[in-house]
Amino acid sequence: MNFELSSEVYFLLSPQFSPYMQLEPALCTNCGVDDCIPVAVGEDFEYATTDLDFMAVKCRRCSLVYLNPRPDSQSIADAYPSHYHAFQFKKKGFGFIYQVRERLEAKRLMKWCRHLPENARVLDFGCGDGFHIDILKRYGKRTWNVEGIDCDPRAVAGGKLRGLTIHQGWIEEVPLPENEYDFILMIMTIEHLSDPAQSLQKVCSLLRPGGRVVIVTDNTHSPDFWIFGNRHWGGYHFPRHLYLFDRKNLDLICRKSGLTTISIKTAVSPVNWTYSIRNWIQDWKGPKWLSEFFSLESPIALAAFTLLDIPLNWFGLGAILHAVAERVTDDPEEQKC
Amino acid sequence: MLTPTKERPVAILGGGIAGLTAACHLRHHGVPFVLFEGSPAIAGLMKSDRDEEGFTYDSGVHFLTNRLAAAVGISKLCRPMHRYGETVYVRGKMFSYPLGLMLSPRYLGSAIQAKFSGIAKKSAQTAREHYCKSYGRSLAEEIALPLTEAWSGFNGDEIASSVGQKFTTSLPRMLMLRTAAKMTNRVIGIGYATAITESTNSWHVYPEGGVANVCHAQASKVKDSILLNTKVTDIFVKNNRVVSVKAGNQEIPVSAVISTAPVHALAGIVRGTDKLDYLKRFKYRAMIFVNLKIEGASGLTDVVTWVPEERYRFFRVSDIGLGLPWLVPEGKAQITCDIGCSVGDDYWNSSDEQLIELCKAEMEMIVPGFANRCFGGRVVRVPLAYPIYKLEYEQDRCRFQKGTEINGLISVGRNGEFSHILMEDVFWRTRWKVSQLLNYARSEV
Repeated sequence: MNFELSSEVYFLLSPQFSPYMQLEPALCTNCGVDDCIPVAVGEDFEYATTDLDFMAVKCRRCSLVYLNPRPDSQSIADAYPSHYHAFQFKKKGFGFIYQVRERLEAKRLMKWCRHLPENARVLDFGCGDGFHIDILKRYGKRTWNVEGIDCDPRAVAGGKLRGLTIHQGWIEEVPLPENEYDFILMIMTIEHLSDPAQSLQKVCSLLRPGGRVVIVTDNTHSPDFWIFGNRHWGGYHFPRHLYLFDRKNLDLICRKSGLTTISIKTAVSPVNWTYSIRNWIQDWKGPKWLSEFFSLESPIALAAFTLLDIPLNWFGLGAILHAVAERVTDDPEEQKC
Repeated sequence: MLTPTKERPVAILGGGIAGLTAACHLRHHGVPFVLFEGSPAIAGLMKSDRDEEGFTYDSGVHFLTNRLAAAVGISKLCRPMHRYGETVYVRGKMFSYPLGLMLSPRYLGSAIQAKFSGIAKKSAQTAREHYCKSYGRSLAEEIALPLTEAWSGFNGDEIASSVGQKFTTSLPRMLMLRTAAKMTNRVIGIGYATAITESTNSWHVYPEGGVANVCHAQASKVKDSILLNTKVTDIFVKNNRVVSVKAGNQEIPVSAVISTAPVHALAGIVRGTDKLDYLKRFKYRAMIFVNLKIEGASGLTDVVTWVPEERYRFFRVSDIGLGLPWLVPEGKAQITCDIGCSVGDDYWNSSDEQLIELCKAEMEMIVPGFANRCFGGRVVRVPLAYPIYKLEYEQDRCRFQKGTEINGLISVGRNGEFSHILMEDVFWRTRWKVSQLLNYARSEV
């Protein structure tokens, strides 16, 4: 065969030119095929870790939104810089906002955990620097055994400095005990996973029968997605969010993984609104002072978008989703749809 | 469709963007395939070449968006266009398209008259009726019909009305997209994709080194399954199902065929059924692209200038450097004059020098002083450039749009679908058709 890649293309697409961010095609995690329509093209507006453009697509079968093509497994770590917010959400940097969020999250977590037994074993999957583990330890029962897992060594190091028990690695690979956990948290985790269906199956096997998992993730059936969804939506978080759900396909993936969905509700969050507006201003070359106003460090912006999202949430259109699912039987295979 | 295996792969005919898109999609799903390309190179209608002076020669104008670049994974290769506009040169004046035309009392008056005369409510069969109804008689007779006749080679009464129905963008939406383009300094695509929604966030880009690099990037992922210089001469069908192909004098069992061949040629190589015989009378128009090199600026006001008047042999002139300055050496310009013709006619048989001199002389009539600054050029001939929507086979064309009616045979791409679709539509429509084909394979398992 005398076909050769032109030297120019070879250079521009070669690893030497772009030492990170090699791309690979993706499949819909629910359907196992790639039958999609394009939804958005965007870039890493928040951290500028790469100058590549990324495409979000929607599965024509189940409406799941996913990144396609996406950074391959070797490259994805480069999309998380050392100052990534989940590694460094500290009281020192965020002050008043940290305190408000801590209170709200504590209230929310305790509501989910109120039925846990004295000796409950709890896992925070995708725990970052251990913000939620810390809350559970401080606000929950002392007898609970709370641990976390995260694949990023920088996040794990941050958590360990705070004296927390955190395993480092992918949930499919770290030897965690099966049928042991009463409660598993996945707060803003599922959208970062390269194969959420496979990871949820693993989560299901770690839960004891009757154990529950709480999944919190961005909602694609919401006005912020409808308005900004073709480029600037904060929930895309290009290229870190690989799969994005609505109520229906979140329910589908839970059932496919052997879990029984107890409830899926939307909740109020100002984060995607704030990021979306900021991305839009930045991309359309608006003034810097204005784009900086729309940040997670701006109490006024966060308060305003919280007030906006409250009435939307009354109609089931809040910016984020909260799903509670349970492992019902001893054999999760029995329960798969 | 039979289940694809290594022994019975899917055969793809043609290594242009449609064939390569199908190949990448099959590879992604782990489906074995072989791509047969009859010529010594991939890229089909997207071939491009560069000369020693740094001028780039593509086969006509191509429209690539940031959306397609991201989907293929080549955004790094592409630069955004910062200028694009269309102008119509008629009666010695340049009118910007479409707003400039609509501000002319002559065209506006006739459009308003058409709107309120009752003609707008009548259904249109021919291109002439459609244009008169939509734009008014003046604009139809002076601009839309001569242009259609120039590229199709037939008069407006012989062409079906569907030829004018591809631009579906409404006026308010178009104004919104144009405003966003001004504000963002991007060339937002309007009217170039119909399969997917246009938005303020989809704009034109173009790859470094020419449009063929889109295909080269795709081919690099599947090059182990591409056979160059290998033409498929027969597709064998048994019981209305594709079973094998003959390529390079060898019969190869296949589970399915994805063809990008022109439909009349496809009908000619399918054996064992006469189901596709109706496609044999479908016609394509040939096109000659005369590229001229110029010292300094070309003198044209927009990237694309439509030239409907009959005294000019070309119907469209594109100034490549205005929109894509990196494809042209600094201080120089390059224009492409498009001439519609038939293979074997006087234009087709003219020498390159004759065509260059002809276009030079006619450009001098539009831009005085042009001929003195023009220093040569290159001619690209494309035998199958535009599917002609003739009224006589319009019903058959609509029938073919629904599929080939043969199990395991799909026809994709601009020539393969016999449709005026551009690159982004070709890409997505091919993926959807291949997905549908795979779905059939799964359900049969």
